[in-house]
Amino acid sequence: MRLLPLACALALGLSSAASAAAPASPPAAKVPGSEAIASKTLANGLKIVVWPDHDIPNANYYTFYKVGSRNEHAGITGLAHFFEHMMFNGTTRRKPGEFDRTMEAAGGSNNASTSNDLTIYTDWFPSSALETIFDLEGDRMANLAFVPEVVESERGVVYSERRSSVDNDSMGTLMEQMQATAYVAHPYQIPTIGWPSDIEHWKSDDLKQFFKTYYAPNNAVLVVAGDVEPAQVFAMADKYLAALPRQPEPTPITTVEPEQLGERRLVVERADAQSPIVAYAFHSGIGAGSKDYPTLELLTTILAEGESSRLNQRLVEKEQAAVEAGAFAEAGFDPGLLWVYAMLPPGGDMAKAETLLDDELAKIARDGVTAAELDKARNLKLSEFWRGMATINGKARALGTAEVFEGDYRKAFDEPAAFETVTAAQVQALAAKILRTQNRTTGLLKPVAAPAANKAPAANNKEGAR
Amino acid sequence: MSRLRFVLAALAAFAFGSASAAPASNQNVKLPDYQTVQLDNGATLLLTPRKDVPMVAATVLVRGGSLADPAGKEGTADLLAEMLSKGAGERDALAFAQAVDGAGGSLNFGSSAEAISASAQFLSKDTGLMLSLLADALLRPKMDPAEFDKLRKHAIDGIAAAKDSDPRRLIGQYSGGWLFRGHPYGRPASGDETSLATIALTDLQAFRGQQMGGDRLIVSIAGDFDPAAVTAQVKQAFGGWAKAQGALPQATAKAKETGRRVLLVDKPGATQTYFSLVNVGSQRDDAARAAQDLVQTAFGGRFTSMLNTELRVKSGLTYGASSQIQRPRLPGAAAITSFTKTDSTKAAIDLAIATLDRLHKDGLDAATLQSAKNYIAGQFAPGMETAPQLAGAIAWLTLYGDGRDYIDGYLGQVAAATPEQVAAARAVFPASQDLVIVAIGDAAKIRGVMKGYGPLTEMKLTDPRFSP
Repeated sequence: MRLLPLACALALGLSSAASAAAPASPPAAKVPGSEAIASKTLANGLKIVVWPDHDIPNANYYTFYKVGSRNEHAGITGLAHFFEHMMFNGTTRRKPGEFDRTMEAAGGSNNASTSNDLTIYTDWFPSSALETIFDLEGDRMANLAFVPEVVESERGVVYSERRSSVDNDSMGTLMEQMQATAYVAHPYQIPTIGWPSDIEHWKSDDLKQFFKTYYAPNNAVLVVAGDVEPAQVFAMADKYLAALPRQPEPTPITTVEPEQLGERRLVVERADAQSPIVAYAFHSGIGAGSKDYPTLELLTTILAEGESSRLNQRLVEKEQAAVEAGAFAEAGFDPGLLWVYAMLPPGGDMAKAETLLDDELAKIARDGVTAAELDKARNLKLSEFWRGMATINGKARALGTAEVFEGDYRKAFDEPAAFETVTAAQVQALAAKILRTQNRTTGLLKPVAAPAANKAPAANNKEGAR
Repeated sequence: MSRLRFVLAALAAFAFGSASAAPASNQNVKLPDYQTVQLDNGATLLLTPRKDVPMVAATVLVRGGSLADPAGKEGTADLLAEMLSKGAGERDALAFAQAVDGAGGSLNFGSSAEAISASAQFLSKDTGLMLSLLADALLRPKMDPAEFDKLRKHAIDGIAAAKDSDPRRLIGQYSGGWLFRGHPYGRPASGDETSLATIALTDLQAFRGQQMGGDRLIVSIAGDFDPAAVTAQVKQAFGGWAKAQGALPQATAKAKETGRRVLLVDKPGATQTYFSLVNVGSQRDDAARAAQDLVQTAFGGRFTSMLNTELRVKSGLTYGASSQIQRPRLPGAAAITSFTKTDSTKAAIDLAIATLDRLHKDGLDAATLQSAKNYIAGQFAPGMETAPQLAGAIAWLTLYGDGRDYIDGYLGQVAAATPEQVAAARAVFPASQDLVIVAIGDAAKIRGVMKGYGPLTEMKLTDPRFSP
């Protein structure tokens, strides 16, 4: 049993893309069946990748749209995520709800997720339903409708999602505030779920403009993995997707976050909390396609993965200053944050936790890592790679992630080799470059006495307006 | 198999667009062949070789589990399970963790009601190491006092941290305790802040002697390994483990509750109310399992379910509403759960109750029943895809004494379930006048609403127990 918060794990999202090939890199991993992968790009720009795998009589259909909260601005924050919901809510051919009813009646299920960078739609279904899925997906890419009553109802759904994952969760609240502080210019400062006042004020026209711009075949990658044949999938794509018109390329995001010039600190006070949290967000300077990405992954693995990791051993096991300590890096189209955190027991000493974190981070930058640690981290990453390759779902995700972030699905197989080429000196140099006080936002979640009874939390004040 | 599948696929495509499309084609999903080896000391070894990726998974079960926790010392089995890997054999806690991590592995110990369990996954090249680590943990744990003190404190502090996190993860803990109060199923397997504080290392040692031994051991291994070599290693490593000294814990079934009673768990300042409506439902060997699962799917088990349609899709009251059926050896909970902003608490609970009433009054129409059959069939295979899934499924089949038909025959039963059987199976969910209700929320704002549903009991989220 581990009754520990998982906000950080949830926030990990999409971070498994491999880097560009390192110089003189060993050959890519040989995954059984990968020789059968086929791809095709339709005339309208939609890239399609198919991995036939007949282990189980099921298939997955993944659509990666290159749009996330990175493509928003003040007034429409949270719109990409809201749009994720609206893509299920009716077309000019199908009423709201019919998409799900048709898919489930054919044995399929679905979900979707939105991050800073991407919106990913996933369908899991018996391969007998393949044509149904193509018809449904082609329809909503072409003919989405925006029924005003459904837009209003869905605002309530999204707000409820926000209350659980952010407002009523200490780590969710703290991370939102820190992300908004760590970036002063780049739209990565926007919370994917959106600010409450924006959730309340999106207009139908905002949705329509967003749809036209971003939900176009040339802004998407389709991956189908499972009990299918490429020729069968390509024929379906020709029938259901090829006629969709290409749209003008979206305006590129050109803002580069300026270098941070000193530590930023913030305190979040919560009256209903028992356990303090100390967290750091460092600018890594590394995006998912960077050649340094594998080094960043190994650095965070050494810091935080497994019971024997540095942060767990120091803060949880040796000093017993934290219930949980961890680290993870976000990397998308643009450079992301490296998060480090310690969740404290009730009454825990935040200053002590901060000192211990500082000491561990300074140590790795000053003294580097051992050969055994590097080996261990590589093995952990290797087994993570193979776990992904054990399911059709993991295969689809790996191919799509490599395709959108690196422009080539084949790079999914470079990952183990890329980790092999990273040296201890590179890990140390990267630690020294990133893990500096001047380069970080420090966030403290501080439990405080309850406020007067008539003072409601901020997120609740607006709810009556909807 | 594949020829039949494609025939069915063609039929389904032909009927495309109709609500009565042919059933999905997965009704021949079966467990792979696996080998059973009985050791002389009573241990069972289950081997399922498959070579899709170079990894090996193991599920290890030791019969007994949290039902054997002494009264007032809930969490004993769970703490013991976690202690097993805090140093074992020649390795101290750090060296043990380094060995697991160094092999790119994962190894998690825990306890459920009926078994102490370990689930492990390693790279194939380290299979020998994996087995020796498991054997050390089970047979030669160091049970170091300093490690125990840390673990117990960590477990207690972890509960407080969980209470500061998304309450969706806690509602089941409270509703299980409130439904099964006074019954062994109502005792928290992970313990609570009070019971954990009373447990000493000697309690763990006593539990280990009474409840753990070779005669209660099930080792299920799936993945890319050499069966002959693994069999020899397991026999060598576990064959000498002596029998457990105590009797297996016993429990009797709890009857369904009649009437209503309400527990309100106060989380001051919460912007949302998290609620659960529960009663006693079904058990592992329930003959109506397939028919109940069809009801569960249509009522609250998928996105278009009655509950999610009413509470989320039509009204926007919540991000999610669902139902669940737990099936332990004796009847477990059947539950409805959802959450909504504080000022719509009454609207959401009323709507959940009205939807429950509609299930009992109207039942499922033919199109919905066929859709549910297709849905279950279509979603079944991905649960049997990986080595950890197979190792786990086969281990638990063995623990409960079920034959492989429990899985291999399941989709056939789903397909064959008659409308009459499905109508009768609605009884797995209670009538709305017989509900045990739990809400986590801001008591100052929802106390009046909750009183309206039945006799009210209150506690605080920060109280050190999961039941009043």
